[in-house]
Amino acid sequence: MTKKLVPLLIVILFALVSCNLGTKGTADTINNDTTLLAVLTFDKQADSCIDKPVIIEGTVLHLCKHGGKRMFLVDGTDSIRIEVTAGPKIIKFDDALVGSRVRVYGTLKEERIDAKYLNEWEAEVVKPEENHSVGIHTGAKGHEDQGVQEKLDQINGMREDLRNSGKDHLSFFSIEADNFIDLK
Amino acid sequence: MQIKTLRRWNNVLHRDIGYLCIGMTLIYSISGIVLNHFKSGDFQHPDYGKSYSDLKVPLPKDGKADLTYVYSVLDQVKEKDHYKSFITGDGYVQIFLTRGYVYVDLNTGEAEMERKTTRYGIKEMNLLHYNNLKKLYTWFSDLYAVGLILVSITGLFVLRGRNGILGRGAWLTAIGIILPALFLLFYT
Repeated sequence: MTKKLVPLLIVILFALVSCNLGTKGTADTINNDTTLLAVLTFDKQADSCIDKPVIIEGTVLHLCKHGGKRMFLVDGTDSIRIEVTAGPKIIKFDDALVGSRVRVYGTLKEERIDAKYLNEWEAEVVKPEENHSVGIHTGAKGHEDQGVQEKLDQINGMREDLRNSGKDHLSFFSIEADNFIDLK
Repeated sequence: MQIKTLRRWNNVLHRDIGYLCIGMTLIYSISGIVLNHFKSGDFQHPDYGKSYSDLKVPLPKDGKADLTYVYSVLDQVKEKDHYKSFITGDGYVQIFLTRGYVYVDLNTGEAEMERKTTRYGIKEMNLLHYNNLKKLYTWFSDLYAVGLILVSITGLFVLRGRNGILGRGAWLTAIGIILPALFLLFYT
């Protein structure tokens, strides 16, 4: 009897895992100091919310296929893309989310890019092996398959932006997600 | 302790740890093949099979890609029931479906359709392989790795004689170590 039951139990266990493994989140309690952000006005609001809790809604345009740790939100048009990274509580962002409207609960993060960073990134890019963790993710179509020259063009473009900004760094904002809801 | 007793314990450990490791070995090896080919560029995505087809669709009459136009495109590709949302960009509209998308170039009417199918089972194995779960699974997978090391070492001493580690086994073990070393030598 046991001999017949063990393989059956294994099959049932795998079937249950396959059917139930989802990435849908549920909202935690919202703090009073949480700021509600909008994709289209994100750039104007972000400066005042660094390292603070935020909520944002948008349509998932793209997901990082290397481990599902990053996704990009848009709202109607792709001219503004907001990067959302998976915080420690999120297992991964599933590719099935592409095209879904989601509400993300998280913390706004700033990444500062200065001349030193750009030099290090350039040194990384010209190496033969690709290092996906270095550089800026734009979420644009095909950005994960960029060639060396395209990356160098991106770096040089940022050098120009840095010169024109009159500051010693460029700021890139993203949201580290604690949780999210698939609004469908 | 006598050699005979040591060998008996060695074989018992090899057998029982081997049984315990088989589930995780299959998970890591099957997802390993998938991730290997994903990393090599043979697969678009490790968890989903994706296929692409080119098609031609009519351009919007007033040049505006609105919901009416989106539905007309979906009517043509018979995917209206699977509509999720759409976005517009510079000269294009991208229509998201439950299993893929339609990307339409609004200057030419040329479109690309992506269809994706979930690799059930493999998707879950990839999740374990990437250690997305973290927490206790990190320790469990470490324990499995230690078990695999023990299976490898005890495996060297299972057989005696000309097929054992002092005979044919030594040559095969050496080949198994030299081959990855050669890849490192020539490819780095």
